[in-house]
Amino acid sequence: MVLSKLNVGQKAKIVKLNVQNKEIRRHLLDMGLTRGTKIEIRKKAPMGDPIDIKLRDYELCISKSDLSQIEVEVVK
Amino acid sequence: MNAKIGNWPGVTIEKKTGIIKGTKHEITDLPGIYSLSPYSIEEDISRKFIFDEKPDVIINIVDATSLERSLYLTTQLMELDTKVIIALNMADLLEKKGIEINAKKLEEKLGTKVYKISALKETGINELINEIDNKKDLTRTKIYDNKIEEMISKISNNLLEAHKRFISIKLLESDSRFEENNTKELDEFRKNLESNYDTDLEEVIATERYSFIEKVKAECVREKDNVVTFSDKLDKIFLNKWIAFPIFVIVMFLVYFLSVGVVGSGTVDWVGDNMEAFGEWVGTSLETLGASDWVNSLVVNGIIAGVGAVLGFIPQLIILFLCISLLETTGYMSRIALLFDKLFRRLGMSGKSLIPFIVGSGCSVPGIMGTRIIENQDEREMTSILVPFIPCSAKLPIISLFAGYFFGEYSGIASASLYFFAILVIITSAFVLSRTKFKHVSSSYISELPEYKVPSIKYVAKDVFDKVIAFIKRAGSIILICSIVIWFLLSFSFQMEYGVDIEDSMLASIGKTISWVFYPMLGQNNWGATVSAIQGLVAKEQVVSSMAVISGLAEDVEEGSEIFAEGTPFAGITIASAYAFMVFNLFSAPCFGAIGAMQRELGSTKRMLKAVLFQTTCAWVLATIVYQIGSRIETGTFNIVNILIVSAILIAVIGICIAKFRKKKDGCSSCPYCNNCK
Repeated sequence: MVLSKLNVGQKAKIVKLNVQNKEIRRHLLDMGLTRGTKIEIRKKAPMGDPIDIKLRDYELCISKSDLSQIEVEVVK
Repeated sequence: MNAKIGNWPGVTIEKKTGIIKGTKHEITDLPGIYSLSPYSIEEDISRKFIFDEKPDVIINIVDATSLERSLYLTTQLMELDTKVIIALNMADLLEKKGIEINAKKLEEKLGTKVYKISALKETGINELINEIDNKKDLTRTKIYDNKIEEMISKISNNLLEAHKRFISIKLLESDSRFEENNTKELDEFRKNLESNYDTDLEEVIATERYSFIEKVKAECVREKDNVVTFSDKLDKIFLNKWIAFPIFVIVMFLVYFLSVGVVGSGTVDWVGDNMEAFGEWVGTSLETLGASDWVNSLVVNGIIAGVGAVLGFIPQLIILFLCISLLETTGYMSRIALLFDKLFRRLGMSGKSLIPFIVGSGCSVPGIMGTRIIENQDEREMTSILVPFIPCSAKLPIISLFAGYFFGEYSGIASASLYFFAILVIITSAFVLSRTKFKHVSSSYISELPEYKVPSIKYVAKDVFDKVIAFIKRAGSIILICSIVIWFLLSFSFQMEYGVDIEDSMLASIGKTISWVFYPMLGQNNWGATVSAIQGLVAKEQVVSSMAVISGLAEDVEEGSEIFAEGTPFAGITIASAYAFMVFNLFSAPCFGAIGAMQRELGSTKRMLKAVLFQTTCAWVLATIVYQIGSRIETGTFNIVNILIVSAILIAVIGICIAKFRKKKDGCSSCPYCNNCK
């Protein structure tokens, strides 16, 4: 499952970052998107992209194209 | 202290230095950053500062309300040799959010001093300042896996420079800025370690930093489970699928109304009138003092008129900056970016680019300065280059003069068509620039969504003041020099005679020499139009007054029937060349005020000149196309077959170019061929 496919309110755990671009990958790691991190989908922009996620007690908006490169496991 | 507290990340783009009150300590406010990786300008500035300026103490301002993410930078600062003091900011908000932080325990775990402060309420700051003088060495906590720690000490032993631990870790992370310290041996080490973790060390180290923080947090922080916050409730409205856009329109209307609408233009007129009165007063005073005519004219028509044009913008700028600052500190700006991001990203710009364009329809100067709200450098630069393409209020006199005289009852349609034309040109330019000049790394968007906040009046006032002063300093100096140059060229002949007719001035001679440049869009050599277009550099409304003067009329005549009358230099202008000339003035180099603002936002004179060249080239090409097609329609030699064939060829050429760029953009991943090129 990739993060961009999740709906608002769903929670997930990061399995792997498949991000090709080194800079973006680095930035995502710095922002705390490391393996095992718990994530919740909070809101979506009115046009559906970017998507606001909650992790490590703060909120981060990420575009769908980046989220689609993050492999996750849905948790209940 | 000069700390910035805007409600979105990346507020400080430049560093600022000052002295702490009551001490001799010099303090530098560095850009807000998340990490010391070298991937953004902000991070790069901060890292260079620490390495080159060698500060004695680093005060790490940590957002106490989102400790986990904020401590990530702390873990990296702790790798440096410099003393680090942690200031837990927004301590006043902790209770409200039901968070309890044990500062003593945090000190223990991190091995450094921790102080709770509130920059907004100004509490805890004295204790923090006193700690600066405390010379006691602080311990460095080891936070990584044994194998990595072993490797770090091995690499450090071979290093000579300061910040050994920091550099060693960066080397393990394969940081591009320390490539020169890399060795074959290191590559070997890295490979061995990486085989243990099934991923690269960059990820391993980031993960271990965060697991260290998680452990620290578990011991030092107690928090209630977060229920739905106030921000969530507000976002239900401001980010609602149906009402988000109407709300945005209302907010933008208010900003526009205040800064460039009724209130803004009223203040501009007021300043303009006063400047004029002031100029007259200075003029008569100089006369009684016995100054010569030309000195008098230099001061009044050159300096006061030129600088007055800049000062006239200031009331508008104050209102605009106030609006922007409020949008920023409340957190609404981040929502605007979300609203339009999808749309603007296709054009290589950001959702926030919309604001400068809207403001720019009033005046390019605040529009260009407003691009500062865009974090990404490429997007910011591209927006500031394209903002002057939107017809600003000073271009309206040109449009109303030409459209009114040449298009008669269709003048409304002609004026409106220019706006659509401008939008079309902006979209096309953005599309082309984002694929050529500003090759985007990707269409990615990663930005924090701050919570809504009530803005601090003190902070907003200071922010507005700083921005206005910066504008006066930079744009003011450029305008002053350029206005003097134009005044000189207009008032003197090549024989250095003062007070000659405009036709004998140096500017007219220059105009006559280069009027061939305008031939393709006017169908004639017209020095008057050339000179007027050049004068538009001082201020676009000058184009019309210059044409009036050249036609032998008073400066404030705006009637087309007089300016274009038989016998004036403008008598030969036709409908096609009128439209072409409007197009040229619309897209060519903006006024000096806007050029000054562009220079400031683009960061260098060279880039500014390139941008001006780009704009003027666009203007020339478009105006020429308009005239060449228009004049053929006029004379009836317009041939539909020719047009169709030429457009087909043009579309094919553009198509090939786009296909080529697209191939370059996606790189090897989209290439179906061999793998040999790698």
